[in-house]
Amino acid sequence: MFGRRLFGQATLGAALVATGAATRARAQSGRPITIGVSWSNFQEERWRTDEAAIRATLTRLGAQYISADAQANNGKQLSDIEALLTRGVSALIILAQDSQAIQPAVRRAQADAIPVLGYDRLIEVPGVFYLTFDNVEVGRMQARAVLQRKPTGNYVLIKGSSSDPNADFLAQGQHEMLKPGVDAGTIHIVGEQYTDGWRPEVAQRNMEQILTAQNNAVDAVLAANDGTAGGAIAALTAQGMAGRVPVSGQDADHAALNRIALGTQTVSVWKDSRVLGARAAEIAVAMAGGTAPAAVDGAAKWRSPGGMSLDSILLTPVPITIDNLALVVDAGWIPRERLCRGVSGSDAPAVCRG
Amino acid sequence: MKRGILGSLGIDARLAALLGTLAVIWLVLHVLTDGIFLTPRNLWNLASQTAVVGIMACGMVLVIVTRRIDLSVGSIAGCAGMVIAVLQVEVFAPGTWWNPWVTLAIGLAVGAAIGAAQGALNAYLAIPAFVVTLAGLLIFRGIAWLITSGRTVAPMDPTFQLLGGGFQGSIGDTASWVVGALGVAALTFLRLSARARRQRFGFTPRPLWTEAVTILLMAALILGFVAVMNSYTRPRTDIVQGISIPVLVLIGVACALEWLARTRRFGRYVYAIGGNPEAARLAGVPSARIIVAVFALMGFLAALAGAVATARLNAGANSTGELAELSVIAAAVIGGTSLAGGSGTVAGAVLGALIMQSLDNGMVLLGLPSALRNVIIGVVLIVAVWADALWRRRAGGTRGAEA
Amino acid sequence: MTMLVEMRDIHKQFGGVAALDGAELWLEAGEVLGLLGHNGAGKSTLVKVLCGAYPADRGEILLDGQRVEIRNPRDARKLGIETIHQTLALADNLDAVANIFLGREIVKWGGALDQAAMDHAGQKVLARLNPNFTNHHVPVGSLSGGQRQVVAIARAIQFQARVLVMDEPTAALGPAETAMVGDLVRRLQTEGMGLIIVSHDLHDVFSLCGRLTVMRTGRPVGHVRTQDVTQDDVLGMIIAGRMPVAA
Repeated sequence: MFGRRLFGQATLGAALVATGAATRARAQSGRPITIGVSWSNFQEERWRTDEAAIRATLTRLGAQYISADAQANNGKQLSDIEALLTRGVSALIILAQDSQAIQPAVRRAQADAIPVLGYDRLIEVPGVFYLTFDNVEVGRMQARAVLQRKPTGNYVLIKGSSSDPNADFLAQGQHEMLKPGVDAGTIHIVGEQYTDGWRPEVAQRNMEQILTAQNNAVDAVLAANDGTAGGAIAALTAQGMAGRVPVSGQDADHAALNRIALGTQTVSVWKDSRVLGARAAEIAVAMAGGTAPAAVDGAAKWRSPGGMSLDSILLTPVPITIDNLALVVDAGWIPRERLCRGVSGSDAPAVCRG
Repeated sequence: MKRGILGSLGIDARLAALLGTLAVIWLVLHVLTDGIFLTPRNLWNLASQTAVVGIMACGMVLVIVTRRIDLSVGSIAGCAGMVIAVLQVEVFAPGTWWNPWVTLAIGLAVGAAIGAAQGALNAYLAIPAFVVTLAGLLIFRGIAWLITSGRTVAPMDPTFQLLGGGFQGSIGDTASWVVGALGVAALTFLRLSARARRQRFGFTPRPLWTEAVTILLMAALILGFVAVMNSYTRPRTDIVQGISIPVLVLIGVACALEWLARTRRFGRYVYAIGGNPEAARLAGVPSARIIVAVFALMGFLAALAGAVATARLNAGANSTGELAELSVIAAAVIGGTSLAGGSGTVAGAVLGALIMQSLDNGMVLLGLPSALRNVIIGVVLIVAVWADALWRRRAGGTRGAEA
Repeated sequence: MTMLVEMRDIHKQFGGVAALDGAELWLEAGEVLGLLGHNGAGKSTLVKVLCGAYPADRGEILLDGQRVEIRNPRDARKLGIETIHQTLALADNLDAVANIFLGREIVKWGGALDQAAMDHAGQKVLARLNPNFTNHHVPVGSLSGGQRQVVAIARAIQFQARVLVMDEPTAALGPAETAMVGDLVRRLQTEGMGLIIVSHDLHDVFSLCGRLTVMRTGRPVGHVRTQDVTQDDVLGMIIAGRMPVAA
């Protein structure tokens, strides 16, 4: 019985390889293709929206979707990509767990002449197409919105995970906006901590300690995303400071949008991941069909921190504040009743009134 | 028979050593942070931060004493937290009086059921606990995500939020003093009634002054703790916070488990199973049922910790409790629980959790980056276990010499 | 006179190996029976069946002529059968008193352990065996071999046993302690207890036991009275399975 299973698996394996080879050949001639997506950690909240968008677009274009989840493990992501290549993908979309550690996997794909798209997180390998929201601009937007509420005072930076380059891009943008104030002495950065694994409970503890160290003399918080913003706001709430201290976020997750409507969070930079996913799918299919990265519609050269020139598209994010909440409702991102849960009183945004 | 001061007073020397270590760490951190560490506010925060790990560490002691381990506690905490959050916010109508209680009860039942199932797989099917709970770690972290496809659920019911402490989640100064007084009274009653009972059987009691000294020392600790909690006022008000609810829960859990471990047959059998499983079997101890109960209790406590963490964050997040099992096991081990089984105390585990959280708390006050903090905590863990091993050898050596 | 204990036609298999293949023994009240045999003869297994550590696959056990079921150690203890195992079966992390009462703790109202009552009774029985025993509150793992033996014996005699099984009681003991065990055996015998002693030591067996049962590869070789045979005869029974020539 065991022998029969092995035989069956071997036959299946041979068939897959044959299909893969055949698929590759068909891709060049523009027939149905398979796009492989390597997720870094599908457990994080936002990626399911991306996945839904990628799948919908691929279906529309007549392509197949397969994926793997590396569960925040570099070694596993390498194996995942090898497996996707073995299964015969025509192009790869990679959300890198670590931009350095992903390089061997990318070179493996390029050796197989499989085009690679770096999704949202930077992959610094020549020939890779980089599609992201401009993360430095996200950081600038977060700082801009918060500065508008509190142009001077003591600032705290609750950053993302130290192993995620996006965390540093965000911080870069934030520091850029704070620099004039810091130089003039009107802004003091009194606390700056990375958040292990982007975990909200870690952000909460760090914020608690910073508040203690500063004896609550904190005027504004730049949190890297909505999860960490939630943790920071929980710490502020325990000190009765929620609502008086502006807090930034990112991802426009439902709980955060609700907090914006309630007034405890100031801004969440919305990267409509549906747009990102859809564009990624389109570009991947185009590259699988033979389009060179430089020839992709809308691509421009971008200089990476490592000095490399990459073909890329940087989409523009949208900062969501209490003034433009209607945007996310109208775009179908969040149902109005969830956005407005618990919202009442004279400070309620227009979209929640009536 | 020679006995030190601690022996004559009837104080466990190892616990005294842990308290001493804690005191040293606190003083050092206080100096390094320019006097912020030992302020009422920071100590109040520290107590609340310790609650989640502390609650689970109490149960983990019993698990490790039976020569087993539970790697799934963080995942159970996360899963139960998500269950509670989803039920509270999206399934049942928010704002009803019964919502927080019913959802909490369901979450705790889920945790206990998971624990019992894991215990049964180990006790009746002889699957090693390491394997069963490793599977549990994966399964229930996955389920926590699947419940909402990774979406964070917020905000929680206002009454439920009190479970997490925070702005209004404390019992106030009067109630705190009452708790402290009850603690001292209970302690005095227990010691004196045990003494009286021994006298009834003809044992010569320890000198009364030793009892008085011990009771006074422990009363000082208890009332000192209450005094610190009562020195912290709600921000920008004069309202005294008192003991926060997560800390009250931790105290309750620790007392309940100490009681279970020391005064009930259940506790005696747990230690017997850990000391010599075959001897326990031959003595007629119902080992399988005890193992299932120990794991069910652990699951229940993990769910309780998850509920506290969820209330504290005011959100159900699928990452709640991630990696908590490591801190919980480390707390138990620092507190003197031996991974070989058969020995360990609940009080020690709580102190172990407090020691680890104090280090982390202080290091963030100092602005140290998280990677460095992890290094330091890892080193402390090794030093603690090494010191414990030295102690055991020395203690075993002197006793063995008495023929 | 009805036998105190009778074990008939006991069979026990472990995996494919028959450890007991029709083994038997009987014991009268006030009698000390020696159970002998080479390594692997099944003597330890037979007494383990009697004390409930292993349930028999087949066979009968009678107590006072009545058939009894012994499926687990609790059943055996309830019937008044106490055992001192070869390994002593003590929990090394618990103290002497806790070991004596393991599984049979004295509880107060509400189910709490009555530590004082157990200490009192425990220390009394320990003192009876060895007046110099004072290490009541240290874990038994720290005690010497002789002291651990005392604790195991105390546990066996504390609970009104009718049958006491001793598996290799003197194997790890020095002469003084061996003498103590001998005194104890004689004393218990006069109190009407039935004792079964499993041993390799022919000298001890001959000095303590009134009757001998010899086993070989799971089966009985024969039952003789000590006064009727010599040590050589018994050796012959053990090694070759040869019954002695009747005098």
